Amino acid sequence: MTMATQQHPTSHARSSKGMRNPPRGRMSTLLSPIATFYALFLLLPYFYIFWLSLTRYSSTQLYVPDLGLHNYIRILTDSYYLGLLAQTIGLGLFVMSVTLLLGYPLAMRIVAAGKTAKPILLILVMTPLLVNVVVRTYAWLVLLGDNGVINKALSGIGLIDAPLPISGNFFSVAIGLVHLSLPLMVLSLVSVMEKLDKGLFEAGESLGAGPMKMLVGVHIPLCMQGIGAGSLLVFCTVISAFVTPQLLGGNRFSTISTIIYQKFTFSMNWPVGAALVFVLLSLNFAVILLHSFMFREK
Amino acid sequence: MVNRIISVIAWLSIVFLIAPLLVIVGSSFTETDFVTFPPRGFTLRWYAEAMVAGGFVDAFFDSLMIAAATMTGVALIGIPSALGLRMGSTRTQTILRSMIMAPLTLPAIVSGIALLQVYYASGLDAPFVGIVVGHILITVPFFIRTVTAGLESVPNSILEAAESLGASRARVLFRVLLPSIIPSIGAGLAFVFILSFDEVTMSIFFSNPEIMPLPIRIYNYIEFSVEPVIAAISTILILSAFVLVALLQRVFGIDRAFAK
Repeated sequence: MTMATQQHPTSHARSSKGMRNPPRGRMSTLLSPIATFYALFLLLPYFYIFWLSLTRYSSTQLYVPDLGLHNYIRILTDSYYLGLLAQTIGLGLFVMSVTLLLGYPLAMRIVAAGKTAKPILLILVMTPLLVNVVVRTYAWLVLLGDNGVINKALSGIGLIDAPLPISGNFFSVAIGLVHLSLPLMVLSLVSVMEKLDKGLFEAGESLGAGPMKMLVGVHIPLCMQGIGAGSLLVFCTVISAFVTPQLLGGNRFSTISTIIYQKFTFSMNWPVGAALVFVLLSLNFAVILLHSFMFREK
Repeated sequence: MVNRIISVIAWLSIVFLIAPLLVIVGSSFTETDFVTFPPRGFTLRWYAEAMVAGGFVDAFFDSLMIAAATMTGVALIGIPSALGLRMGSTRTQTILRSMIMAPLTLPAIVSGIALLQVYYASGLDAPFVGIVVGHILITVPFFIRTVTAGLESVPNSILEAAESLGASRARVLFRVLLPSIIPSIGAGLAFVFILSFDEVTMSIFFSNPEIMPLPIRIYNYIEFSVEPVIAAISTILILSAFVLVALLQRVFGIDRAFAK
């Protein structure tokens, strides 16, 4: 998912006909391995899950093939599942906003940095990206636990008596996810900011615009594409993330992803879990559609 | 004033990104039995322990084997696909390419569960195959994207020259087109290796005590405790990531990749 929604140059096809006289037979032969692979391991599993989502839960037989939309209706009317949905979307929006607030200034400084500073800054931003998500989550477990580094340090200097409530809740999951997705936001912004015409800023300054006016009136509007792409990437990463909310949220804070996992492992309620899968997918696609509607190329 | 605030936030962001990693590196040298920062004393005991206890070395080799099998599978499926894509008209290419990229928009947790259900239903008992199939599913789009980009840079004129000199279609494919995309195949496979080695969500579903890649081994540990031995393992992984990124910067220039 991480790279899924990143923009990439798709259509740089140089010839309109491909190779001359494409032999149809050869082409389908070459594409048959991937077609078979996707049919077996992508289409078939998803069709099966969709069918499961239409069945009814049974405590004795796992599920009974009494097909209908009851699982979906339950999720969309039950206050527990609606709360879960709101909690996941809220987490996505919160992490997205924080990464934007932190990432925008950092991206500005990276783009403006000199020949020696820029590679160093980029290495520092990209290193966390290549550190395994389990290791990064472990770091936050160590920092945020009741006996963690932060609580020990604060009580050591006498600032707090009882440990701060910074583990197994919204805060700990959000901070772990900000750490996870900040590099994605920064890189999306940097790639757009690098293409900005520096002359525009000189023009703005020579016309007497102050730094605040330059930022809000010139810089941010010119970076809207990067802001949009980065926000979409971060939001989709957050609502689909599993490892970080699972480990940092404990049993006390859940997202759609962690509940899906739970339904298929511990509570063995496959039909509701399967319906949640399609709720999560619809949420992803809805956000992608919203993004392409808001940021369509003119 | 505004510029000052921007600089302060930029520095805070860098500290926020890096500090947690430095805390882990530091605390891996502690002499205490629990993780603490700053570390007390200095010892390499946890590194020694990581080499013998907890099955971390076995897990590392499991990860390597899974990555190798994934790379083989991806190459077998991905190279023909990229070549086949190149043969279509622009329109066909666009449609086929977006179909091939489809798995990228699907959350790994969801694909993992879907695959697991089919695995259960099939009655197979081959967790290694399950993990590798899952990894291929996640990585093959990235590979095809890289190789397709390499193929785009091979001009049609070269292929036409070979054809007009009497080379058969198969000969053009295997003696002209394939050799010219070896570098992008290499880059794509390196990418696949990193992704597979790093993969967690898909692997969770298929891992068992016999086959368990390194990230899952760590995951299972930290679900219950945060011992210093994990800090030692993590330090090794953090330093490898740093060296890898620094190397990429030296060889390809990350900063240039973003410039116009």
